Amino acid sequence: MATEKIKVEEPRIGVFVCHCGLNIAGVLDIKELLDYSKTLPNVVFVKDNRYTCADPGQEEIRKAIKEHKLNRVIVAACSPRMHEPTFRRTVSDVDLNPFLFEMANIREFSSWCHSSTPKEATEKAKDLIKMAVAKSRLLQPLQTIEVPVTNKALVIGGGIAGMNAALDLAEMGFKVYLLEKGESIGGHMAQLDKTFPTLDCSICIEGPKMVDVGRHPNIKIIANADLINVSGFIGNFKVKIRKNPRYVIAENCTGCGECKEICPIEYPNEWDMNLGVRKAISVPFDQAVPLVYTINKDYCIECFKCVDACGARQAINFEQQHEEIEIDVGAIVVATGYDIYMPYDNSLLGYGKYTNVITSLEFERLILAAGPTGGKVVRASDGQKPHSIAFIQCVGSRDKNKYPYCSNFCCMYTLKHVVQLKEKYKQDVEVYVFYMDMRSNFKGYEEFYDRARESSVNFIRGRVSQILEVPETKNLLIHTEDMTLGQPIEIEAEMVVLATAAIPKKGTDEIARILNVTRGADGFFMESHPKLKPIDAPTDGVFFAGACQGLKDIPYSVSQGSGAASRAATVLSKPKWKIEPIVSVIDATKCRNVNSKCGICAERCPYGSIKVEEKKAAEVITAMCHGCGTCVAECPADAITQMHFTGAQIFAQIRAALETNPEEKILAFLCNWCSYAGADLAGTSRFEYPPTIRPIRVMCSGRVDRDFVLEALRLGAGMVLIGACHLPYDCHYISGNWKMKARMDALAPMLNKLGLSPERFRVEYVSAAEGVKFAEVVREMTAQLKALGKDKIKAENEKLRPVLENMLKRKEKK
Amino acid sequence: MPLKTLKQETANALTLEWILHVKNYKLTLNKGYCVGCQICTLACPKEAIKLVKHPKIQGEKAKKAKVDIDLAKCNFCGICDILCPYGAIKISVNGEHLLSVVEKESFPQLVRDIQVDASKFPAGDMKCEESCPLNLIYITRLTPDGNIVKNLKSIPRKDRKKLQVKIDVEKERCPCCRVCEFKCPEGVMHIRKFIHGKIFIHTNKCPEGCTDCLDVCPITGALYYSDEDKKVHPDEMFCIYCGACKVVCPVEEALELKRTKIIHTPVSSGAWNKALEKLASPIEISKELKAKGSQKAFSSVEKRLGWKSA
Repeated sequence: MATEKIKVEEPRIGVFVCHCGLNIAGVLDIKELLDYSKTLPNVVFVKDNRYTCADPGQEEIRKAIKEHKLNRVIVAACSPRMHEPTFRRTVSDVDLNPFLFEMANIREFSSWCHSSTPKEATEKAKDLIKMAVAKSRLLQPLQTIEVPVTNKALVIGGGIAGMNAALDLAEMGFKVYLLEKGESIGGHMAQLDKTFPTLDCSICIEGPKMVDVGRHPNIKIIANADLINVSGFIGNFKVKIRKNPRYVIAENCTGCGECKEICPIEYPNEWDMNLGVRKAISVPFDQAVPLVYTINKDYCIECFKCVDACGARQAINFEQQHEEIEIDVGAIVVATGYDIYMPYDNSLLGYGKYTNVITSLEFERLILAAGPTGGKVVRASDGQKPHSIAFIQCVGSRDKNKYPYCSNFCCMYTLKHVVQLKEKYKQDVEVYVFYMDMRSNFKGYEEFYDRARESSVNFIRGRVSQILEVPETKNLLIHTEDMTLGQPIEIEAEMVVLATAAIPKKGTDEIARILNVTRGADGFFMESHPKLKPIDAPTDGVFFAGACQGLKDIPYSVSQGSGAASRAATVLSKPKWKIEPIVSVIDATKCRNVNSKCGICAERCPYGSIKVEEKKAAEVITAMCHGCGTCVAECPADAITQMHFTGAQIFAQIRAALETNPEEKILAFLCNWCSYAGADLAGTSRFEYPPTIRPIRVMCSGRVDRDFVLEALRLGAGMVLIGACHLPYDCHYISGNWKMKARMDALAPMLNKLGLSPERFRVEYVSAAEGVKFAEVVREMTAQLKALGKDKIKAENEKLRPVLENMLKRKEKK
Repeated sequence: MPLKTLKQETANALTLEWILHVKNYKLTLNKGYCVGCQICTLACPKEAIKLVKHPKIQGEKAKKAKVDIDLAKCNFCGICDILCPYGAIKISVNGEHLLSVVEKESFPQLVRDIQVDASKFPAGDMKCEESCPLNLIYITRLTPDGNIVKNLKSIPRKDRKKLQVKIDVEKERCPCCRVCEFKCPEGVMHIRKFIHGKIFIHTNKCPEGCTDCLDVCPITGALYYSDEDKKVHPDEMFCIYCGACKVVCPVEEALELKRTKIIHTPVSSGAWNKALEKLASPIEISKELKAKGSQKAFSSVEKRLGWKSA
């Protein structure tokens, strides 16, 4: 039998059975439960309460601990997801370690879901208490881990979202490093002419904000720099940054621009979408912050005229090198933004082939008064103002073959463009908009759509199939089907503007790798929870703001920037960060990596929190460990233990559950966040299902060791169920469910080959919302159990047992 | 976004373009004018220009090397345009020949010192016009009543003295080889070379009967073949040190070519120093810098004492 190595003292367990008014007592026989509990090993005290969670109930627990010297407490009541924190506080009030408390969920898992079969429900409740006692005997006191917090933040990306996050944090009094890859902060918003739906000038509202960021004493802008590496954990990140040379000394540059005047070399300005040019020494745009000039050595001919022009300021240094710096921060806000898709690969639309087909962002630079044409909309082919312009929506977006998602802001900016055009050129320009659906679903947007509709613009519903050029005039023929008419149509326009998809910023994959955060199928960063943690990254201490997490327009990005700042402040404002001690611990004497190359744990850890060096035992970076237990199940040498969910504790629960009539029971391992919560919901919703199931709670399905399954079958369990979060992205530990799936996909065929009926081992994905599904699964499995019959199961078990015993031998030895 | 660029090659020209919405940069290499010398390749600050040698076919004359320009590296700065002795490369912005490095005084221009004294030209002379190896001299004769003489032979010898003579030289393309100075009647042409240097053919290394260098040399008379030793010899008098010969010479170190001085407009520029370093040698720049340094010192004294340069 498994025994714990550290046994502080002989357990003295107190069991408190709650009536929960009539919620429990109305179905279950409380007296029988009490009598039964008394018979369990190490139980020295039993008591029932009307409402254990109420003050008198809690007081009784405290009193009993003191009077009867209890060193373990079990409350048989509701779900631990409901009141475990409450009772943990109760026991710690009288100096009992909160991790010596355990709950038996006899309400959601018994009285509420088996009310028509009270006798069987009571039997199940007995088993649940027995399982809790079995685990409780092996519980160890644990100390909450505390790590110090560096109260500085790093914001990656100086667009409108990142700037807002930085400003808010700085205003709260935290020191902020604002890392920007480009030469200036400002992001895409600084490229725009006007903003919808109010048509206020973009740089006029963003410019002052950029200046505020530049001047704030708590903000240090690190522009023209790359993120190289991030190590450490929440509260204690070490960030390595490479500052790329500008060949201009930032401190000496006054931003006067005399160097730019004298510079003879021009090159295409990427910031202007290459419509115009900039000098080899220049700033991308006049309002740049920091206002430091940069020499582009790809184009500079090194005539050194700028050095002469700069004169005594001596700001130019052609010898400048890359510089690596390291900073310490407590929290990181990722605001890396998006890129615009350039539809060169869509030959049907002719971008790159026909001169007068441009993208919306290029159009934005054309209509902008400070742009390369001084705000004149002209064709590239002849420099003339077009008399008809066609806007094509959803280029790349909402396209199953390209980017299936909606890019969110294209409808609105096209509406803005057409309104601007109509205001500027009135009847002198004919405007067409080809769209699939017009999406204008935020404050003031629908009204803006109306304004565009009323400004004599031709809205044509239909997806454009092809654009052809008229070689003589360089005009364009647009082929589409007008869905309102139900007819194919052809329209000639002098210029075509493509509203192309927005895509994850180039380098998002690299940032994801460095920060160990995941990306969704669309390539944008995955938040920790789509509803309740939309700003948090799965890595603690990392937060998202703006379009890097999913495409957003300006107001939404600004609010998310502020949101990320306040989330980061919850970390930064604390001197110490507390971590649940349910972490993994590696037994260095058992770790295989000492003698041979292993490292499986590090590879499987969804958080990269295990460090493996050659010839050394693997090491868990405790502050980074999230306590999923995947590594424990994966370790081939059983060298890893998850605190509070140890192998011994779970084995004890399995054995307790299957002590009597195992053939009639379904042993289930349910992950805390989805399937356990789903089962809870089945209870709270009063969905009835047969009382055949004996659930064991694990934090993540990734914790479910194949040995648990083997042990359950060895003991003759009628069925085994593993409940997990839905694939692919629901897992609360990023990918624990995938690790479990791989493990069980290998185990199942082997068991079947050994003679196990396939229906007796099942993996189910049940979300926290799927109470119905959980009940259905149990009903289905129970029916299958009955169909198989006790005799067949017993016969199978007889055949299986010797093989399983053999497989589990190394477990037995422990 | 990626830039819209264009590279086109025809039998006569190589063109490179940056097509921006509002601006167009264009480089045109006239293949007829290009002699495949080393100058642009060496001088290009972006190392965008490469020489592609033609494989030598036995029994055929050597072909001049082909110039190829890398569109990804070229920044349309125009230094090749400025330095090409033969005026083979032209840079234009929006269709106009524009050299902003010259405008901003960040790169000097070559000084083509070509003086023509038409008054000393005997109107009957026929050789002068034909003397230019590149056909850059155009002589126009006008009758006293201002008509252009189309056929000189139709004018009686005695009347020829009364003819008015106009001599035009296509300066932009003139490499200043001085051949005309010697072939035209004395005193008519006065040329100063803009590239000075030394050329030397090591007869011990030069293979007998090989005339590759001579085949590609654009200047008649700068190299000549001696029947005596069956080898090619240089004539420093006419050589302009462009290096087209060196590019095709099949034997290493057989032909030695050194540029020592390039006459240019007085502009101080790091880009020029670099170009000079590559075209000549570091010693030559240090010489030039020293000369400039003293000039600078002189001008500062001038300023301080309030002298006015005459």
